[in-house]
Amino acid sequence: MKEISHYGPSLCSKFHEKLVYVGYGSSIHVYDYHTGDIINECNIFHRNKVHHIRICTAGYALICGMKSFSVVKLDDLMSCSEVLNNERVIAECIISGEFSYECTQLYLLTCYNEVMVIDFQGKIISRNSVYGERSLLYSGSIKVMSKDEVYVNAGTVMGGVLIWNLFTAHMMHNLVGHIGSIFHVTLSDDGGFVASCSDDRSIRLWDFKTGSELSIGWGHTARIWQLKFFNDNKNLISISEDCTCRVWSISTHSEAKIELVQRNVFEVHLTKNAWSIDVHDGDMIAVSTGNDGRIKLTDLQLASRHGDEQECFSVQDISRSTGTKFENGEIIKGFQWYEFGLVAVTSLGNILTYTTNNGWRFQMNNTKFISYCYVNGVSDENVAVFSNNSGHIMMLKFNDDAEDVIAKSEYHASELSKTNNCMVCKYGSSHFLILLESPNPKDVFLCLIVNSATLAIEEKIPYSKPHNFSSSCVEVYQDNVLVGSRYSTLAIYSLKSGSNPYVVRRINPGDTTTSIKYIETVGGKAIFSVTNRDGYYNFIKINFNLDLHEQDTPVTVIHSNKIVRGFLEHAYMDSSGDYIIHGFKSNLFYIYNETKGYEITSEACGGAHRQWRLSSTSDGWILVYIKASNIFFRRFHKRAIPETLRDGIHGREIRDIAIKKDKMYNKGYLFCTGSEDTSIKLCHFAKDSGRVTTFWTQRKHVSGLQRCAFINEDLFISSSAREELLLWEVDTESLERPFMNLRQVLPTSTTNPDLRIMDFSVQFIENNVGFILAAVYSDSAIKAWFFDMRNSTFHLLLDGKYETCCMLNVCLVQYQENLYVVTTPTDGHLVFYNISNCIPFKIKNQSVELISDEVQILSSALPNFDLKLPVHQSGIKALAHAIDSSGRLKFYTGGDDNAIGICTMTIEESTGKIEGHISAFKPNGAASTITSCGLIDQGKFLVTTSVDQLVKVWDISKDKISLEKSQYVTVADTGSSDSITTEDGSTTLLIGGVGLSIFQVPCE
Amino acid sequence: MGKSSKDKRDLYYRKAKEEGYRARSAFKLLQLNDQFHFLDDPNLKRVVDLCAAPGSWSQVLSRKLFEGQKDVEGRKIVAVDLQKMSPIDHVTTIQADITHPKTLNRILELFGNEKADFVCSDGAPDVTGLHDLDEYIQQQLIMSALQLTCCVLKRNGTFIAKIFRGRDIDMLYSQLGYLFDKIVCAKPRSSRGTSMEAFIVCLSYNPPQDWEPKLDINQSTEQFFEKIPSLNGISELSIDDQSHTKAQLPSWSLEERSIAEFMSCGGLDSFDSDATY
Ligand SMILES: C[S@@+](CC[C@H](N)C(=O)[O-])C[C@H]1O[C@@H](n2cnc3c(N)ncnc32)[C@H](O)[C@@H]1O
Repeated sequence: MKEISHYGPSLCSKFHEKLVYVGYGSSIHVYDYHTGDIINECNIFHRNKVHHIRICTAGYALICGMKSFSVVKLDDLMSCSEVLNNERVIAECIISGEFSYECTQLYLLTCYNEVMVIDFQGKIISRNSVYGERSLLYSGSIKVMSKDEVYVNAGTVMGGVLIWNLFTAHMMHNLVGHIGSIFHVTLSDDGGFVASCSDDRSIRLWDFKTGSELSIGWGHTARIWQLKFFNDNKNLISISEDCTCRVWSISTHSEAKIELVQRNVFEVHLTKNAWSIDVHDGDMIAVSTGNDGRIKLTDLQLASRHGDEQECFSVQDISRSTGTKFENGEIIKGFQWYEFGLVAVTSLGNILTYTTNNGWRFQMNNTKFISYCYVNGVSDENVAVFSNNSGHIMMLKFNDDAEDVIAKSEYHASELSKTNNCMVCKYGSSHFLILLESPNPKDVFLCLIVNSATLAIEEKIPYSKPHNFSSSCVEVYQDNVLVGSRYSTLAIYSLKSGSNPYVVRRINPGDTTTSIKYIETVGGKAIFSVTNRDGYYNFIKINFNLDLHEQDTPVTVIHSNKIVRGFLEHAYMDSSGDYIIHGFKSNLFYIYNETKGYEITSEACGGAHRQWRLSSTSDGWILVYIKASNIFFRRFHKRAIPETLRDGIHGREIRDIAIKKDKMYNKGYLFCTGSEDTSIKLCHFAKDSGRVTTFWTQRKHVSGLQRCAFINEDLFISSSAREELLLWEVDTESLERPFMNLRQVLPTSTTNPDLRIMDFSVQFIENNVGFILAAVYSDSAIKAWFFDMRNSTFHLLLDGKYETCCMLNVCLVQYQENLYVVTTPTDGHLVFYNISNCIPFKIKNQSVELISDEVQILSSALPNFDLKLPVHQSGIKALAHAIDSSGRLKFYTGGDDNAIGICTMTIEESTGKIEGHISAFKPNGAASTITSCGLIDQGKFLVTTSVDQLVKVWDISKDKISLEKSQYVTVADTGSSDSITTEDGSTTLLIGGVGLSIFQVPCE
Repeated sequence: MGKSSKDKRDLYYRKAKEEGYRARSAFKLLQLNDQFHFLDDPNLKRVVDLCAAPGSWSQVLSRKLFEGQKDVEGRKIVAVDLQKMSPIDHVTTIQADITHPKTLNRILELFGNEKADFVCSDGAPDVTGLHDLDEYIQQQLIMSALQLTCCVLKRNGTFIAKIFRGRDIDMLYSQLGYLFDKIVCAKPRSSRGTSMEAFIVCLSYNPPQDWEPKLDINQSTEQFFEKIPSLNGISELSIDDQSHTKAQLPSWSLEERSIAEFMSCGGLDSFDSDATY
């Protein structure tokens, strides 16, 4: 059994020259952070995680983790796959370590506030501590100032920071002020300041000489885990459980007052627990890591690296440089960005251009556009389109440096009584469209086809306007125009037929459609992304091969989701297939990578109500906006260094994993993970490398996930607390990315449900008319439902309660001509209900059929159980079943009591009742709770995971349970697994907990 | 939302309110006692309750040792916690950190030359989210409790402590095995089945004959146990050498591990605390 990949908590990171060394599980990853390439993965410790890395000038690294430490040559870290022989252990946990001044010795600070001085061979030279100060520490650091000046900074659990001299064992300061445990304390390189952070969410800056408190930094909204001085001790950076890192300046303007001032906030990790931060002083790049397994790079000069990021012009500035006088109160009313720069119009109809080389320039005045004017255009044609509210349009085409207007045309749309929207969109390679809308519902929706070179209107198409329609965005696909509107409505017009539009209403729960974007064509159908200002986004599939009006469902929603927070204005797929969105949250404009889950950039522009436009440039984006009647240009340059070195997974525990086993997808398999963080991720793993790619993070659940499973090739179910059970439809037709859409929600028993759906199981009905779903609840309830595929509805069939305990697992088992609900309560029993006679289905030997097509669904009470078999001392956490070669039904159980059991069931001929016995039982299957089990290799072996972080493969043939293999997993809180055996007989095993590990089990 | 509303609906929560206990944890101790009867021994006199706040275990102890008892002569309960506790009849409370050797000294002083019959610890640190560190700190709480136990518990006495059954729990089982005749991992029904919480019940204290436990306020818990060779995780470390120097630190090897017998307590008919109603 071999681990082929691991994603999970990373606790430390360190820049050294042009590389960054990151502790990842029990390994170190070495990256070239300029390219993002991984140079090496080197396994350091047998079991412990890497908590701490120091590097010395002599070319060695000191690596510590819990009781282990290792001294490794940097050359070896960059080339060896493991250096396990270097691992040494001490009796206590190591909080921090450091090299001596001459790099000949090591100092290890233990959690009982003692420093061991050790040589490189692991011989103890001395043990130093301050007499009587031996209580437990969570944090500390060692500062080597010179050969004989070494200080120990220790953070206690009672809020004190103890600073002592290593060689004299003299305590210099006990810095008090923090409340609660200290999580980090560090001394600046110049020996001027001590900085500490704690449970109490504050950072404190102290004078190292006097021990006096200089300043308190407030800002983080959760516990703070690490601090680092940088930029010649002028700045401090902190990382916290609030998932942000913050940059602070240490202002020393006046001698009297030294202050910590927060300068910047970056959102860097997911959900909770961000652990480490380091800064490359030369490049001003920060690296951070957390429980989400992401290695994030942050540009600390995001808004100043190129120097041209921010420009701002007042009306006076523009007036001065164009030499035109602006009237009192004249303001900029609209603008459009081009490669050369900007075209803008003022409230008095003055049309201006701005180019980087020549600045502002007055072009012309057109009094038709006084006070009311939209500006649109086709950027790559240098075309600007101005329109007012009474149907007047002016088109201008500029040359490449905006010196001259090379074409001009005007038009009055007399078809419309008024206009309140004008949209422009490229159509083919030589035309563009102008869409004009009137507020009058009786007016047409006018479409003009314009030649991009001559600006001649070649065709005018008056379309009918759907009722309750107020256009907001447009996309052209072949000869079809897709217009988004308020009320979450979409109208599709054909430029060829000119007929009535095909209208789709209420695509999602939000209101204004903000963007429609063509994504790809699959199986002859076009896929579009549709966003909504309220934060919803959908992907829809449209079949344009036939007339839309003649199809039953020409438009299907294949994916739906909602962003974490804020308003959503636009979305597209970037060249690497990531879904990039932008919008506003409170007073910030943001650009966010929705696929990977991080913010790319943001700008405090003041909020969504102002005039703004984002355009892409050759080197990123530019946001133009008006604030306090000034015009701002904010350039976002493409990052010179990658955003991440590794994309992680969930920020919290993975509670369940489900592989989509029916077919391979891009040389691997799709799978879903359900997490405590309440989200479901749809991911892919490559079979050979174990590399995981996340496609989507679904946020429909509001409580932490409990179970998830694929129930057939395209349906998937997830369950959680608050009685949430969701049925999803997965679309894998595209090989670029799969999609998943919510199909139905299981009804709840009350309007404010508080029960957890612990598990569910499904039995399909012949001819795919639907399925029976059994669900078990935390209050001992057991329910069976019929899901009718024909109208997508759930009908309650059976409802009952076991006793008073929580139910942990359930499976619907068809055995001979009976259908059983088999469930495991926390009392350690296997309980069997025969439901064959209480449901309107015929149970045959191999199938379940509807009795009649017009089946009357009446719900009834759950029958009494047939059998209650005591197997474990407490809850059965893991359950699997199979029918063996001699036709006997077998159950495999893993318990909270650490035991593994096999039960064999038969049906007693005389009574027709199910009977069974424990055919094998292994009391100490693990040192701790067994959390999942699964059969592999056609049922010859059972795989178990347990909280002691061991994965075990058991030979279960011939009714015995014998250990075949045991393997340590880095994933803590090991709680879920799934496996797939491929044609070559090898099995891939996915193990989830705090992180995800993928193992390859070769065939026997 | 979430946890707090769930707690309120918990049957044990209501039961604790009815019976006047400060916390639902009381039922964990009661259910452990139903199984092992350590509090039903009429000779039980002196007990220590570590990490005791808000004090429901102390309440159980106080009722068992004093309520309706005729001969209470020489009976004593000492309770310790980082947090302040409001007074409980017949219980002496101390606010202190049990990982600090000075605290253990204070408790020893309260007992004078007398030995205790029973030591319990329900300690749990604030979790950081770093699993290995959290588990380690939890084990250090147990080791501190055990250190005190070694100094104060009479031969054949009982020690119980809260554990989280994580990665290295088998190492702890194996270490405890050297000091007690029998150890059991017990899980009361009132403890959430979905949590890693359980209790280690150590019966019949039986330390090595030639070992004289001695508390030194300048020593860490680990160093205290280093003196019992069999308990010392790192036995290669020379212990004859008073200064602990020049010893070679060992390479990694898998520590000795064993699995304690598992026992569910509280009867299968009692309510389990994962159930919500
Ligand atoms: C679960 S509570 C104990 C509940 C208690 N048995 C009862 O029944 O009311 C855990 C306690 O451990 C305490 N604790 C954690 N670390 C400690 C330490 N180092 N010293 C003393 N008490 C500690 C906490 O303050 C907390 O009150």
